[in-house]
Amino acid sequence: MMTKKKSIFTQEVIVGIVLVALYFFFRTISADFGKYTTFLSMMDISYYYVFMAIGVAFPLITGGVDLSIGTGMICYALAGGFMIRQYGWPTGLAICLSIVFGLAIGLLNGVLIALMGLPPFLATLCTCMITRGLGSVVTGSFAVPWPTAKQPNGWFHSIFKITLENKTKIPLGLVWVILLMLIMQFVLAHTKFGRYTIAIGSNKEAAMLSGINVKFYHVMVYAVSGLFAGLASIAYGAVIKTVQPGTGAGMELDAIGGAIVGGVSASGGYGTIYGTVIGAYVIIFLKQGLPYIGFNANMQQIITGLVLIGAVAIDIVKRKVVK
Amino acid sequence: MGEVILTMKGIDKSFPGVHALDHVDLELRKGEVHALMGENGAGKSTLMKVLTGIYTKDSGTITFEGKEVEFHNTHEAQEAGIVIVHQELNMVGDLTVAQNIFIGREFKKGIMIDDKKMIAESRKLFDELHIDIDPKAKMSDLTVGKQQMCEIAKAISHKAKVIIFDEPSAALTEKEIEDLFVIIRDLRKQNLGIIYISHRMDEIKVITDRVTVMRDGGYVGTLITEECTKEDIINMMVGRVIYEDPKTHSMVPDDAPVVLKVEHLNAGKMVQDVSFELKKGEILGFSGLMGAGRTETARALFGADPKTGGDIYINGQKVTINSPEDAVKHGIGYLSEDRKRYGIVVQKTITENSTMATMEKFTSGLFINKGAEKKAAEQYIKELATKTPSADELVVNLSGGNQQKVVIAKWLVRNCDILIFDEPTRGIDVGAKNEIYKLMNRLAAEGKSIIMISSEMTEILRMSDRIVVMCEGKKTGEIRIEDATQEAIMDKATRDIN
Amino acid sequence: MMKKALAVIMSAALVGSLACAPVFAENLSDTSEGIAQFDGLTANEPYDFQIVVKSFQSTYWQAALQGMDQAKDELGVTYSAQGPASESDIADQVNMLNSAINGAPAGVGLAACDTSSVLESLQTAADNGVPIVAFDTGIADAPEGSVVCTVVTDNVAAGEVAAVNLYEAIKDQLGDGTVRIGEINQDNYALNIQQRGLGFINKIIELANADGYSVAMEGNEYYVNEAVGAVEGDADIILEVRVPAQTTVDMCSTEAGTILDKEDTIAVFGSNQTAAEGLLVANDNREVLGDTIVGVGFDAGTSIKAAVEDGTFLGAVTQSPLMMGYYCIYALTAAANGQELIDVPTDGYWYDASNMDDEAIAPNLYD
Repeated sequence: MMTKKKSIFTQEVIVGIVLVALYFFFRTISADFGKYTTFLSMMDISYYYVFMAIGVAFPLITGGVDLSIGTGMICYALAGGFMIRQYGWPTGLAICLSIVFGLAIGLLNGVLIALMGLPPFLATLCTCMITRGLGSVVTGSFAVPWPTAKQPNGWFHSIFKITLENKTKIPLGLVWVILLMLIMQFVLAHTKFGRYTIAIGSNKEAAMLSGINVKFYHVMVYAVSGLFAGLASIAYGAVIKTVQPGTGAGMELDAIGGAIVGGVSASGGYGTIYGTVIGAYVIIFLKQGLPYIGFNANMQQIITGLVLIGAVAIDIVKRKVVK
Repeated sequence: MGEVILTMKGIDKSFPGVHALDHVDLELRKGEVHALMGENGAGKSTLMKVLTGIYTKDSGTITFEGKEVEFHNTHEAQEAGIVIVHQELNMVGDLTVAQNIFIGREFKKGIMIDDKKMIAESRKLFDELHIDIDPKAKMSDLTVGKQQMCEIAKAISHKAKVIIFDEPSAALTEKEIEDLFVIIRDLRKQNLGIIYISHRMDEIKVITDRVTVMRDGGYVGTLITEECTKEDIINMMVGRVIYEDPKTHSMVPDDAPVVLKVEHLNAGKMVQDVSFELKKGEILGFSGLMGAGRTETARALFGADPKTGGDIYINGQKVTINSPEDAVKHGIGYLSEDRKRYGIVVQKTITENSTMATMEKFTSGLFINKGAEKKAAEQYIKELATKTPSADELVVNLSGGNQQKVVIAKWLVRNCDILIFDEPTRGIDVGAKNEIYKLMNRLAAEGKSIIMISSEMTEILRMSDRIVVMCEGKKTGEIRIEDATQEAIMDKATRDIN
Repeated sequence: MMKKALAVIMSAALVGSLACAPVFAENLSDTSEGIAQFDGLTANEPYDFQIVVKSFQSTYWQAALQGMDQAKDELGVTYSAQGPASESDIADQVNMLNSAINGAPAGVGLAACDTSSVLESLQTAADNGVPIVAFDTGIADAPEGSVVCTVVTDNVAAGEVAAVNLYEAIKDQLGDGTVRIGEINQDNYALNIQQRGLGFINKIIELANADGYSVAMEGNEYYVNEAVGAVEGDADIILEVRVPAQTTVDMCSTEAGTILDKEDTIAVFGSNQTAAEGLLVANDNREVLGDTIVGVGFDAGTSIKAAVEDGTFLGAVTQSPLMMGYYCIYALTAAANGQELIDVPTDGYWYDASNMDDEAIAPNLYD
């Protein structure tokens, strides 16, 4: 029998170090990257990716995936914005609609996967297409604006960013990111739901034979993913303001990539939410920082892809060592 | 026995934290069947993986046909003539026999695969081995035994000089094992060197010429099979003599209450109209051949597979069990035959596994009470004498016997009164087996009722108070332990076949 | 009659903004050949046309219909329009197109949702001698003899309009050390973006050279290589073109941020709605547009319109569905008369805070 010493250099810690190193690396090369306004912009754009990443970490930990979060987020943002625009809904109600819509699509994914037995890849690919089409249908294929910060319905912008009296802007969204990260990490590590999420990913059969209502929890896992896509849609509406139908495909990959970089096992059974958030920020820093040091579009994608391969390779090596 | 074909000398291999092989020696001659024995974790598989190039050795030498060799992968080893017949069969079920045998080195006609030639070559192989299998049959249509024959044919088609059998008999029936031995003797006649890994002492005596015993990654010694007894080998393996005494009479009083009554249980072809009763404090043995429907009966009873009919009474009350969740609620726990797949979550800690079925006991509101959880796990580590440094140890790091104890703990934490043990000692080494037996007897004495499914006749006879025999999905007999003999059970277990 | 109608529309724009005057003059000269073919056009018969649009749900298409109504009244023809519930209902649109063609109208005006799905229907139209005018969206592989005229935005000219107006606003700052003009293009492979991007670049170079200033290119290889008349090394103007890794608003905003952060940047152009919105998102935290940096956008949408209105953007260029609808009816009438037609490129129209409410411009500015 062997007892392995737990190294403090978990993937989460390593990725955390990489994140800090990355920030200072970009700063050193480009003074503009170090500006506070650049940091603000980077935070603005990070919120919806991070929300999606937190949500999708749960299906990933069960060994599944949710490909519908990118187009889903756009669809929910379109729906909420459309209601404000077309029917004069109060912003609060529209926000609720977007979140509930996300939750509903998440539940649909869960039912398709856990109850009807569709492979997660296939089921969520279908809902990815459905949400993309649905967004266009709802709005008549037209871009939908969310109210701007100066408009009367624009109070929700201050959820993510506030301007102090001396005109300094504070990225308040970062507080929510940290709060949600802590809450969901707690959920994953300290609640029945979290424990079963991991159990489903490690050994679904064993979980089922232990008398766990696997189907119920499996559905809930996808509901969480959908719920966070709904939250992401609010951040998207606040930051990007005009939501264009037909977009969103590909955004889920950045979120999934972030979770994987942050140590969520690509084959399920292991993952942390703080790792996921750190990993998502690595992807965002790369996306935002590479243009500043003069890398063109193609190089940016190549580098991001290589980083992902690196992260997955670490995951594979890790599992081999454990075996 | 002919000249030496393979010598492994001073083989040493370490993994992070484990010294897996400590200067192990092995010598194989032509025309010899050489048993490699040892408890689980003794290092047999690791040694074979070093030989076939899956692992790289840290030090030591391998001499094959007079030359020092070092293989870097299984392909190189195959090329040289060393092949391994794995315990788990590496066959593609949807392909035909011939396609499987020549997979990865298909004959070609131009760019097309030459199926005809592959079929002809397969037929030639089978003729040599005196096996009757249609090369055109789909692999998944064959019995496990036949599939293993194909695996052997595949090995021989590599022009093997050394064949390693890794627990070949684990999944075979008695008849199939006999066929296997005929082939092995044939191969011995053809002057091949054969390494035979098995846990079954009887087989070792029947088929092998010499025995090399390993313990804890070290080399213990090599004996000539004819000159030693079973006990000699066991002593070398564990250093002590063991085993609980077999039961001669039932421990259950006649007036003990019936805790579980199953009537006319049906679930597909494998469970047809099965009825039985289980008394308080009883160990009810389920015997039968592979595929008799015992596991299926247990799974249907437990709600893991859908039932098509039948009634279940617990303590006289009729109950509905449609899912494992229902079964657990009614105090039934199931210990699967395939622990790693169905019983435990290997990458989780003992604590997490122990409380997996009883989460609500350890949650207040939404949150898990980790302190109480750990305390419960520690209590059962102590009670079951689970060998582990702590309750936080990952289950993957435990030996088979200790993993089984974790599964038992899971159901005891749940306070289940009815426990279904499906092959409780499969893959568990001799020393640990006895501990599991003692534990089961203790649980029964404490008033738990146990259904024990086992394919090992000795285990059935040693443990059961009463024996249910099944054959092809039907219950074919019920024998009191006082009347039970190997012959009586086998007669009922094969009744329909003959 | 035709010229007169145009003059009404144009003069409204001219009166609206003096600053725009030279730009409009230029627009007209660029595309006049396509328009000239309609000189003195009258309908030989009171034709009835079928129009199939992508959908009805947006102001964009309502503007197109407004242009059609105008032309219909001038020419004394009639039309009926239909379109699917949304732009993604491709099959519905094909059905509508088929029934329109089967009714043997004098001609069909088509804005195809999906250009490849309509090819079979277009073959039927060609076989039955029903002339098709493609508007808004060109159909590249249309069967021989089906599409007789294409009425779409001239993207090169649209880019030039942006360049002319932007240059006007910054030319006083030139000659006093090197300055930087940025351009955000959503991609470097879509034809309309390429044309627009290069139209802008080449016009800036042309205008700067005429005033004796040199221009050097930086950034995306495609645009750098395709630019005409740029110099290597030191120059009065650096024109930096940035293309995001993905065609999303957020990636456009990152690229825009890198330009806005540079000390020597004095102006920047976002060449479509996504790129222009990216500029605005980047400006949210920096607040330099309309202050130290001149911003020019493209297309409309709430964010861009609001930015033009409050002066964040100097102005923007919009395509004109109104004009496309107007010329669509003219082209259909001419085709029904049996006239051979050349394609009609419509312009991009400059709008800023001063003229965006004008009746010639406002209908083009969808939300």
